[in-house]
Amino acid sequence: MNNLNNKMTMNSLFVKVAQFLLVGVSASLFAVNAFASGGGSPIPNDDMPQYSSDRLIVSMQNGMQVYMNNCMGCHALEFQRYNRSAKDLKMSEQMVIDNLMFTADKIGDPMSNNMQVEMSEKWFGTAPPDLSLIARSRSPHWLYNYLRGFYKDDTRPYGVNNSVFVDVGMPHALENMQGIQDKTEEVKGIENDIGYAHGEIATAREALKTNEGSVSSHNEAIDKAEHLIHEKESELIELSKSGDYFTLITEGRLTPQEFDSSMTDLVNFLEYVGEPIKIERKGMGIYVLMFILFFTVVAYFLKKEYWKDVH
Amino acid sequence: MMSNFMTWIDDRFPATKVWNEHIAQYYAPKNFNFWYFFGSLAMLVLVNQILTGIWLTMNYNPSAEGAFASIEFIRRDVEWGHLLLGMHATGASAFFVVVYLHMFRGLIYGSFRKPRELVWIFGMIIFVLLMAEGFMGYLLPWGNMSYWGAQVIINLFSAVPVVGEDLAIWIRGDFIISGATLNRFFALHVVALPMALLLMVFLHIVALHKVGSNNPDGIDIKKLKDENGIPLDGIPFHPYYTVKDIVGVGVFLFIFCWIIFFNPEMGGYFLEAPNFTPADPLKTPDHIAPVWYFTPYYSILKAVPSQGLGVIAMAASLVVLFFLPWLDRSKVLSIRYKSPIFKVALTLFVISFFILGYLGMKAPNEMRTLVARICTIYYFAFFVLMPWWSQWGTTKPVPERVTH
Repeated sequence: MNNLNNKMTMNSLFVKVAQFLLVGVSASLFAVNAFASGGGSPIPNDDMPQYSSDRLIVSMQNGMQVYMNNCMGCHALEFQRYNRSAKDLKMSEQMVIDNLMFTADKIGDPMSNNMQVEMSEKWFGTAPPDLSLIARSRSPHWLYNYLRGFYKDDTRPYGVNNSVFVDVGMPHALENMQGIQDKTEEVKGIENDIGYAHGEIATAREALKTNEGSVSSHNEAIDKAEHLIHEKESELIELSKSGDYFTLITEGRLTPQEFDSSMTDLVNFLEYVGEPIKIERKGMGIYVLMFILFFTVVAYFLKKEYWKDVH
Repeated sequence: MMSNFMTWIDDRFPATKVWNEHIAQYYAPKNFNFWYFFGSLAMLVLVNQILTGIWLTMNYNPSAEGAFASIEFIRRDVEWGHLLLGMHATGASAFFVVVYLHMFRGLIYGSFRKPRELVWIFGMIIFVLLMAEGFMGYLLPWGNMSYWGAQVIINLFSAVPVVGEDLAIWIRGDFIISGATLNRFFALHVVALPMALLLMVFLHIVALHKVGSNNPDGIDIKKLKDENGIPLDGIPFHPYYTVKDIVGVGVFLFIFCWIIFFNPEMGGYFLEAPNFTPADPLKTPDHIAPVWYFTPYYSILKAVPSQGLGVIAMAASLVVLFFLPWLDRSKVLSIRYKSPIFKVALTLFVISFFILGYLGMKAPNEMRTLVARICTIYYFAFFVLMPWWSQWGTTKPVPERVTH
């Protein structure tokens, strides 16, 4: 009996050690670096609506219109050609020439602009990048939230900042569509608390360096502040989820719903421009895979036939 | 008519002789299993890389000013260019997948043991050449990850004592990665290394056909022959293994094409997002990690506290593989008859290799560094202590004939 008990405790000890190893080690191995790139997950962090087939093409067409009217002046699409866009987005070339081309370019030309690099560096601190591949380097999800993340910030040269790309050099180019949004009082309060907590951590770390006061109380203060920051950041995420992160202080031409829908169109267009063959290649892929499947089945029976006499 | 023609050829060139010796009358064991597909698949991917590479070269512009734009030109404006790029980029990863599986096959069935030492060593040379080929090819798109990845790896050479700094400059051809580096990497990637690879593949196969293929039982089939001198357990490579390998090709192509057409980025492991911005010496990507097939060795490098020693450890992790034929002292070749100790040791090795690969992609933290160190120690212990532990435990009796 005693022996059995011993065996039981050994077993449960083993299970505990294994649990510790599995849970503890994997938690720290696979931990998402929440604070790695300055500020955790982007806020807002909303999912973009997904469209398919004809709805997607219409969305891309709208997106191209938004792009040509609002973005093209500064951001070229150097790798994309006008006629390729026309063909893939199912528009006639004449329609593109009449409605979407505002330069002396020919329909077969790349979608470039006349932005002067030196001048634009003076205006914005950095030249506006070409956006041909932005959806591939940044991801559509990031773009969708970035475009909806501009808010009033009087400390910035153009009076706006961006919650996804902090201190971005770009002005709010779509202000006439969206209007101007500001962080809500609640958000500002929470961000103040976070800023204060960061200050406390810095003070405690400084004190630790210079050996002032008790080490344990400083460490305790740091732990407490870090815990608070973590808590407050989840509150911000919650606020963003419930739509209480920003509030519109100046109305734009569009309602918030219309603006979000426009941004979905714009991102869909940019995703298309990032890889124009994307939709087509999936259609092609079905046939390729069907052929390979057929080929493999035939090859399998051929093999079986040949191998009949191998014993 | 046809036979007259072949006689005319055979009088001047050993066409029929070579065909028979290496294909039609090359007797391979009849019990090859799943693991034996990856040699022929590696050959298939090699051909894929060379052919798509030739066509890519026709439109690629190997200059710092034009490289990035020429890749997008191929993707958008060259007829079927997107497919050439897809096949070549996916092919690079696929090459390492099949080569790793091919090497693992050697490991579990003892295919590197006497008399196949040279087959293994030639294969290892192919592997190292392939790593160089992959590394240099990765710079050519001239994206920001291409640039910074190359920067990090070439800087490793500056950790070599005394000559390090000069060595790094000699490799780059400049004080930083520049158009000069791109040009020489292009030359090596499309001319020098492929030629070396083809030569080594040739030698790998010549050496293999001299000694004959191993098999999942690790039995020498040449011991038992019939009255015509044909191994009792051998079957001609053609048609038996040609038709069998074609089935493997079908399955492989299904996965390969699924990736190309439906998931070319493979969640950022095959094509990395930062590489869609042009190389910029002033903008470092948030997190620089090599492509997945280098990460186990990169992990070993990072696990060692000093960079100089880390570089040596990384090199040693490859060098030790060359000595495998003399490290394994087990009485039997195949895992089927080896002691359970081998199975446990090998399982742990595979797990630690995967963990090292995973950690090589991640930014280090305390726990990750600790785990990487444990896995690194195990990696080396597995090989260095093999002469001893491979003799432990009891092996099972090996049958006379292969199990089929």
